[in-house]
Amino acid sequence: MKNIIRMLITLSFVGVVSGGGLALLSSWADPLIAANKKADTERAIFLVQTEADDYELVTDVPFELYRVFDETKNPVGYALPWEGNGFQGAIRIMVGLSQDLNTIKSIEIIDQTETPGLGTKILEDPFRGQFEGLNADPHVKWVKGAPATADNEVETITGATISAVAIVNIVNDGIETLRAAIAEGAGQ
Amino acid sequence: MELILIFLSAALVNNFVLAYFLGICPFVGVSNKLSSAVPMGLATTFVMVITAIVTWLIYHLILVPYEVEYLQYVSFILVIASLVQFVEMFVRKVSQPLYRALGIFLPLITTNCSILGLALFMVLKEYSFVEGIFYGVGAGAGFTLAITAMAGIREELELADVPKSFRGAPITMVVAGLLALAFMGFAGMITV
Amino acid sequence: MKKQLTLFNEYKKGIWDQNPVFKMLLGLCPVLAVTVSAMNGIAMALATTFVLTFSSFIISLIRKLVPTQVRIASYILIIATFVTVVDLVMRAQFPALSKELGPYIPLIVVNCLILGRQEAFSSKNNPLRSVVDALGMGTGFLIALASLGGIREILGSRTLLGLQVLPDMFEPWLVMILPAGAFLTLGVMLGFLNYLTLRNKRKTDEAQLAHHPELPIIDTSIRQG
Repeated sequence: MKNIIRMLITLSFVGVVSGGGLALLSSWADPLIAANKKADTERAIFLVQTEADDYELVTDVPFELYRVFDETKNPVGYALPWEGNGFQGAIRIMVGLSQDLNTIKSIEIIDQTETPGLGTKILEDPFRGQFEGLNADPHVKWVKGAPATADNEVETITGATISAVAIVNIVNDGIETLRAAIAEGAGQ
Repeated sequence: MELILIFLSAALVNNFVLAYFLGICPFVGVSNKLSSAVPMGLATTFVMVITAIVTWLIYHLILVPYEVEYLQYVSFILVIASLVQFVEMFVRKVSQPLYRALGIFLPLITTNCSILGLALFMVLKEYSFVEGIFYGVGAGAGFTLAITAMAGIREELELADVPKSFRGAPITMVVAGLLALAFMGFAGMITV
Repeated sequence: MKKQLTLFNEYKKGIWDQNPVFKMLLGLCPVLAVTVSAMNGIAMALATTFVLTFSSFIISLIRKLVPTQVRIASYILIIATFVTVVDLVMRAQFPALSKELGPYIPLIVVNCLILGRQEAFSSKNNPLRSVVDALGMGTGFLIALASLGGIREILGSRTLLGLQVLPDMFEPWLVMILPAGAFLTLGVMLGFLNYLTLRNKRKTDEAQLAHHPELPIIDTSIRQG
């Protein structure tokens, strides 16, 4: 019996000290972690919207969306973080869109777990750069094995077709959802 | 459909052992005989499913409402350790044959990182309760598959003339590498 | 009673004689998972060493107060606490690195190296020796991760610590940065080290071995943990 009490006391003591210490530490770390996350999003927004000077979170849509403004506070478009499936896991990208949602300004891959050296070519400019100024009306198409001809076409990556097509699908899916939301009067 | 995809993805495409490197210790340590590899796989699967259920409840019913997510690791590992102990006692009481088959493997499971890994990935992927269970079953099935395949190969290897300095751990690692390559064939098939 | 090693030897044993990765095959999960590049390996090893050193110190301090039955539970609690500390600090101060190492930081909790050292060493030795032992093991772990990461980075992406070391005409071996490459590299390294040890052993005469009972006897069978 005495032993059980001693066991309980030891365990609860260790537990309380550890919990208390962590609570203190997390009250210091949490704001910093939140700031890091915000900085990440911010960096991606300014990368996909080059003339952006300011942005705000659009609150009346059921997903994350940012409206972007230039120096004179004119709205220049949207930055839309969107997620979908890649070759091995989720891919998260930031899509920069024009005000009328018909032109992609640029995209930036935020998170991915593609095969290093093959799928990760989606991060590199020969592929990613194709999205700069791409026509997204009605949607983006992909072509395989031949250079893109139309202004809404993207050439896939040799050896990483699935990853490349995944990006196109994520972009289309995001834009379509956003268009539907805007058509219902959101984001104004 | 979504649930089946989660299961297949955890079992094949993102196999815990061969793609995430979780549970390497038992994978290498208990894979020399089929007769011990299969029970080990089953015991791990069993604990994985229970862990998925319990840690999901703890995370969503205690940690999130009280905003103490930073206690995640501490609480998960404690729960897993006591859970394994509890399962061991329960199995011993309920079924002697089952205890004899799984018993000695249970204590080893506490330090099997695939269990904690499962709990953490489940939180990371924001699975719902049912999805979590399927994820647990899939991860367990994947582990069982990998360790069984490994044991089968190692039993055959006994007959092979492996260079002396490569016997044991080194050749096991090389075989695991080839298995990992083979499992890569599943990638792109399904993704969740 | 076993003769105590000098502090320096206590430190040194972790580097080679009892190297946690190459000799004891402990903590292989992070070894394989994060060694895509030398930098990741080094960061992981430093995080592990931090947790190992502090847990060893605390556990060694309270080793006489903890009842044996709840020993493991208390150790795990203490280890998990320090892992959370590392995780929070990393996410707050080094977000890029923490993204890279991802969920493998929390998995330090179940790194058998750490719990193993508490069981085998800190619970029986004074704080100073425990810290020295932890630092030694950490150094050994660092050497293993850095070398594995270095080899995989050089062959897999032509770079070392981010600097290009192989010419462009060298076609990178993609397999090295894939999971399969981790297993293959570690397997070949272990085999090579075994070969060296076996050769040395043949050269060393038996008498000398008898004088140094602490010299390791290579055991290629794998321990659980």
